[in-house]
Amino acid sequence: MSVERIDIGDEIPPLEVVLSGDDVRRYAIAANMPGQRFHSDEVARKEGLPGQILPGNMSMALLSRMLNEWLPQARLEKLGVTFRGIVRPAAPIVCSGFVTDRRPHGEWVEIDCDLILEQAGERRITGVAVLRLDPPAATAPRG
Amino acid sequence: MSEALPLGIDAALLGVEFDSSVSPPVTAQEIHEYAASLGESHPVYFAPEPVAPPTFCMKFRGNRFSPPALPRRAFARSFDAGKDIQFGAPIRAGDVIHTSNVLHEVYEKTGRSGAMVFIVSRLRMKNQRGEMVAVIDSRFLIRGEAAT
Repeated sequence: MSVERIDIGDEIPPLEVVLSGDDVRRYAIAANMPGQRFHSDEVARKEGLPGQILPGNMSMALLSRMLNEWLPQARLEKLGVTFRGIVRPAAPIVCSGFVTDRRPHGEWVEIDCDLILEQAGERRITGVAVLRLDPPAATAPRG
Repeated sequence: MSEALPLGIDAALLGVEFDSSVSPPVTAQEIHEYAASLGESHPVYFAPEPVAPPTFCMKFRGNRFSPPALPRRAFARSFDAGKDIQFGAPIRAGDVIHTSNVLHEVYEKTGRSGAMVFIVSRLRMKNQRGEMVAVIDSRFLIRGEAAT
């Protein structure tokens, strides 16, 4: 999508995933998150949880992936979230969002977005992001 | 003793570094595995000399998330309420990440469920060139009797 076509109110194409317990363990290992509630149903239940849960960081990373798939040429400048409920494997996760502001700065543009992560029809995470879009010729690999 | 914050926390602790760390050099394999674990598909994450996805920075958390002087009861009923990340220079294979953690903010709120205290730690990250990689504010929420 070109910078010129992005406008306030535009919806971000949703990201829908169903993660297995192994997927969550794989992330927890790759992300250096040793907390056993992210690895084991049994330990999570001992901690009063219904079973294995996703690390909050993984939910944030899924929101970041959604933004990356929408605008792969953009650079993520800010990402902020509020954790409102637990997110679990083996049930659909839906990430969505929309554009709330667009600020031109000469040749580049900043885009503000509101973000939502839902599971079982409930908003488990809400957040905001700021993306920077440079003109195509100046676009560096994102990070 | 300076002014006390909620939970009797000494205001002199604000902004004082309580933890720091230096990572081993980031490997291409670490970046590949992180990106793959999220189902990412951008080719720069899987190149022989990859750039890491932005949230890769959360892997570097230092050794502890709160000052040792904070009352233990503060965290007995706490949970992770959220994070705000400001991203800087992308992390690339070979980078060495330096972290510095401070107690950034302690504040109270009262809601329908009663008193709540928020403790915010701020983790600053730089790479080996001194470039800012990320600033992460982590909010921990303490509610109920532990917050009074």
